[in-house]
Amino acid sequence: MRTLLGLGFLVLMAPCPLQILAAQERTTVGGYGEVHYTNRTGPKTPAVVNLARFVVYLAHSFDDRLAFRSELEVEDAKVEGGKPGGEVALEQAYLDYRLGDWVTLRTGLVLAPIGIINETHEPPTFNGVERPGFDTDVIPTTWREIGLGAVGTIPGGSGLAYRVYLVNGLRADGLSAAEGIREGRQEGRHASFANPSFTGRLEWARPGVKIGGSFWYGGTADTNAAVGTGTFGAPVVLVSADARYDSGPFALRAVVANISVSDAQAINAAYGQSVGSRIAGGYVEGAYDLLRLVAPASSQKLNAFLRHERYDTQASVPAGVTRDRTLARRITTFGLTYKPTWNTAFKGDYQLLRNAAGAGELEVLSLGVGYQF
Amino acid sequence: MSIALALLLLAAQSPAAPPAKVAASIARVFGAGARADTLRVDTVSVLRVSRADSLLGFAAIGNVLGKDQPITFLVAIDPVDRLKDVDILVYRESYGGEVAYEPWRRQFRGKSAGDSLRVGKEIRSISGATISVHAVTLGVRRMLAQLTAWHQSGAIR
Repeated sequence: MRTLLGLGFLVLMAPCPLQILAAQERTTVGGYGEVHYTNRTGPKTPAVVNLARFVVYLAHSFDDRLAFRSELEVEDAKVEGGKPGGEVALEQAYLDYRLGDWVTLRTGLVLAPIGIINETHEPPTFNGVERPGFDTDVIPTTWREIGLGAVGTIPGGSGLAYRVYLVNGLRADGLSAAEGIREGRQEGRHASFANPSFTGRLEWARPGVKIGGSFWYGGTADTNAAVGTGTFGAPVVLVSADARYDSGPFALRAVVANISVSDAQAINAAYGQSVGSRIAGGYVEGAYDLLRLVAPASSQKLNAFLRHERYDTQASVPAGVTRDRTLARRITTFGLTYKPTWNTAFKGDYQLLRNAAGAGELEVLSLGVGYQF
Repeated sequence: MSIALALLLLAAQSPAAPPAKVAASIARVFGAGARADTLRVDTVSVLRVSRADSLLGFAAIGNVLGKDQPITFLVAIDPVDRLKDVDILVYRESYGGEVAYEPWRRQFRGKSAGDSLRVGKEIRSISGATISVHAVTLGVRRMLAQLTAWHQSGAIR
């Protein structure tokens, strides 16, 4: 980003190391985006190309402690009335007040600090053209809601960092069998605050290692007493754990999540859905940088990767719902990610979309480019 | 705009570190009771660190832009131009604060200006802190080269 004057990275020695200079206001611009080629139907039928995301990152610091940060996204290149697809949305927009390394106060439209992709979703940071299916159907990335909270590192060299927020809740009327809690998100648009929810994360890091645990707890009933009453009526409880490990040419990552929707029966009765009472799954992914074999001195990367996902948005169902076994998904993705720089990526992958029913299975070829700056 | 002019403009905007943090960092890196004198090289200040009559090394403070905020860091070298330690004096970004963790900073110790310091090779990255890892690594590499050049030319001694 750091394109204050269009100069790329700059290193500056402080003219007066022992003197506090007056902090200046400054605005920075950055962004990320990705273009996809997707063939879901086989080699003899046409593919689809799509400018999946174009995101502008805009930040402003008012002084040394107070900063505004935002991401404005255009999905599918264009929004036009009456046509499917296309979205203009804020992914993040919040104010940070930094008290110290141990705590920064944050308020606005914030990312739920859950899993890996939701907070770190820039295309060069993950393998595969599309985000993992798990990060669409189980953890509904990019998940953001309005609220306030605190983030920081726990002092004393513990290597621990945390984020905790109180935000608006999910809405039960958006829950579904196939996409779980995804359409229950309110995303900062006239969101009901009937069911404030808590979400948070604790993570531990060392060079090459990051391990995290996340949660979400909140009601979903909104004003529908038939679904639930009280602040935590018809609660959704999510717990998730994730790990990332890099060593030389190897990279591994894994995420698991379990979501309980204990009043799924009442939700289904009210809205005519077949929401599972438990949504669960995860994935593991391994990657190896092939350039280490042929050009060990290169700073470029050519990651060959393999990811296996298993998740079921009806891992358990309430009385009255027959499990749809096509929702027990098993997705294997393998492919290549070429990174000429750490913040650009050219991707190609092949996906085997399977499910426990063996129905409607697909194989998908995808190509893509992504960048961030 | 020339690079030099742009550098000058940015330098004027770059925040510095609170003196107490600098003093604490010098004491941590060089030991309690180390004395720091400010030397001027061009428009830049370098701290000369000594105890009694013996030179312990030099330190300088810099800023490098992370995602949207300057990261204020200190680089200290010993009398034979090996990197003694790196400190993150002020971290203002919303993510990536792991660059301040000791196990990450430790990777730079003992390095010289001629040594290779690349993310993903000699310096292991941290997931979710990639931008800050690249920024600080570049900043340290340049600062180490600059301090070494000044020391070897006699501009600081």
